[in-house]
Amino acid sequence: MDDYVCNAGDLVPLPTSMQSLNNSNDHDTSGTASYIHDQIGIHDTRPPIISSIANDAGKETSTKNSRKRKVENISNQKVGCGNTTKDGTKDKRMKEGTERGGATEESQKANSKKEASGDASKRSMKPAKSECIHVRARRGQATDSHSLAERVRRERISERMKYLQDLVPGCNKITGKAGMLDEIINYVQSLQRQVEFLSMKLAAVNPRLDFHIDNFFDREIDLACNPGVMPMFDMPSKQWNPYIQFNSLHPTTACCGFDVDMCSSDRILGRTMSMSMPALLPDTILDSSLNVHRSSSYPSSWDIAGLHNIYGVEFYQGRRPDLPFQSLQGDNFP
Amino acid sequence: MPRLLSLYLAFPITTMQASNTFKQAFLKRMLLGLQLAGVSSKCMTIQERKSAIKLSADVAMACARGSTNWSRAIVTDLSKQEKNKVLLRSILGKDFERLIKPCHHTWKIPRSKKILKRSFRECSRRRKGLRAPHGLATSVLARVLVKKRTQVLKRLIPGGEYLDGSYLLDETLDYAISLRAQVDLMQRLSKAFEASKLGSHNVCTLQARGDSYADK
Repeated sequence: MDDYVCNAGDLVPLPTSMQSLNNSNDHDTSGTASYIHDQIGIHDTRPPIISSIANDAGKETSTKNSRKRKVENISNQKVGCGNTTKDGTKDKRMKEGTERGGATEESQKANSKKEASGDASKRSMKPAKSECIHVRARRGQATDSHSLAERVRRERISERMKYLQDLVPGCNKITGKAGMLDEIINYVQSLQRQVEFLSMKLAAVNPRLDFHIDNFFDREIDLACNPGVMPMFDMPSKQWNPYIQFNSLHPTTACCGFDVDMCSSDRILGRTMSMSMPALLPDTILDSSLNVHRSSSYPSSWDIAGLHNIYGVEFYQGRRPDLPFQSLQGDNFP
Repeated sequence: MPRLLSLYLAFPITTMQASNTFKQAFLKRMLLGLQLAGVSSKCMTIQERKSAIKLSADVAMACARGSTNWSRAIVTDLSKQEKNKVLLRSILGKDFERLIKPCHHTWKIPRSKKILKRSFRECSRRRKGLRAPHGLATSVLARVLVKKRTQVLKRLIPGGEYLDGSYLLDETLDYAISLRAQVDLMQRLSKAFEASKLGSHNVCTLQARGDSYADK
């Protein structure tokens, strides 16, 4: 059970493909890889090689897929041409790319052949391949799935890099993994340093935290989360608002307030925390009555436009009928 | 695998912002932690108070986020010290067990060992053997730079030493969003505390005002 917020509308289609990518074996990765390929394009550190693929995206992937399907049925055979992205030079790749389309049949016939040696021979075979598009079977499936998985992995990494680019401010112009990683590291380090500094600041302030949390923090969190939503309350003195009940206050330190400032959620937080009670009085705390959801419907009866500069929170003392509420910083009253 | 999806569900990608649920849970846990750590008592040095506050902030962030690699790593690392364990247990309650529980790393792409071994062999052979001289130096340099930086990043992200590649970047994204929300909320808290300190000085002068208002 995790605390996640499901915003289905915010899902981009990509993650599901990534998920299926995780779940699938190599047999399916080709299909999803091409899906990702088409979706996000390739921003890779080695653009020369990838761009050639990207240019022939549709043609290449479809032929590759058809080839893959056939290959999967035959064990220990593979399509070499479409998957040697790691090695090889640019011109070789281009040649293969352009000639691949016409030679599917030959490639499939050539699948039965096997490479005797390793990469050295594979590399030397490349020029020969580009002429006749023999797709030599590589040694085993290793390179095939490896190269394909490598490509998929690179695409995932570049996609995450894009998201991180959106996250870290001021990274629009930085291309390349190293620079981006630099920025990310700086950003995370600065955030961590900020946390340290803020915790030191909080320690210096040394709040007197003798209040009951549940009461006010629901409201404060509502404010913290929705700074634009201001519950507009008028505070007639005699009216007991059943919706807003806070913990009982010592009369001398009781305070509630009106705040002219629109962005007063912090002040509200402060005000509630200034109710420094020596002891908690849970029996006067009406948690159930503090209903944030109801409070949102509460101000409907008032003229919100007129009261937009009045913002207040009222604290009641549970036992005493006369209201010891004061305004801390309010200047305007209706 | 639900984990990757959950990453995106928890924080909508478009805004790169922590959700309100997260903020609420964070504030709740943070205040609970502050209270339980006893920061308001006088007998703490400022260093002790600072570390207690930081601990409760981190724990609150980890708990609010739920079950991710970094959040579990935070709680696990903090609970390695005995003196923190009690506090953590009281703050988190039943979530403590949930977060401490070792979760086997299931989010790697399942690859057969045979294929991995083969590809490793091929890679090493490739490295030893012929490599296109063109672009050799720059590509190697770029790779070295990236490698160095990923190592630094691994040390930064809690629990990042065991991750790599896109998973590390996933964690970084998630962690950075949570950190940002944590910083924002702690700023609000500190402002509120300061305001409260300020406000408590003005209580007497405002009482008259309040009474006059009460008469209306």
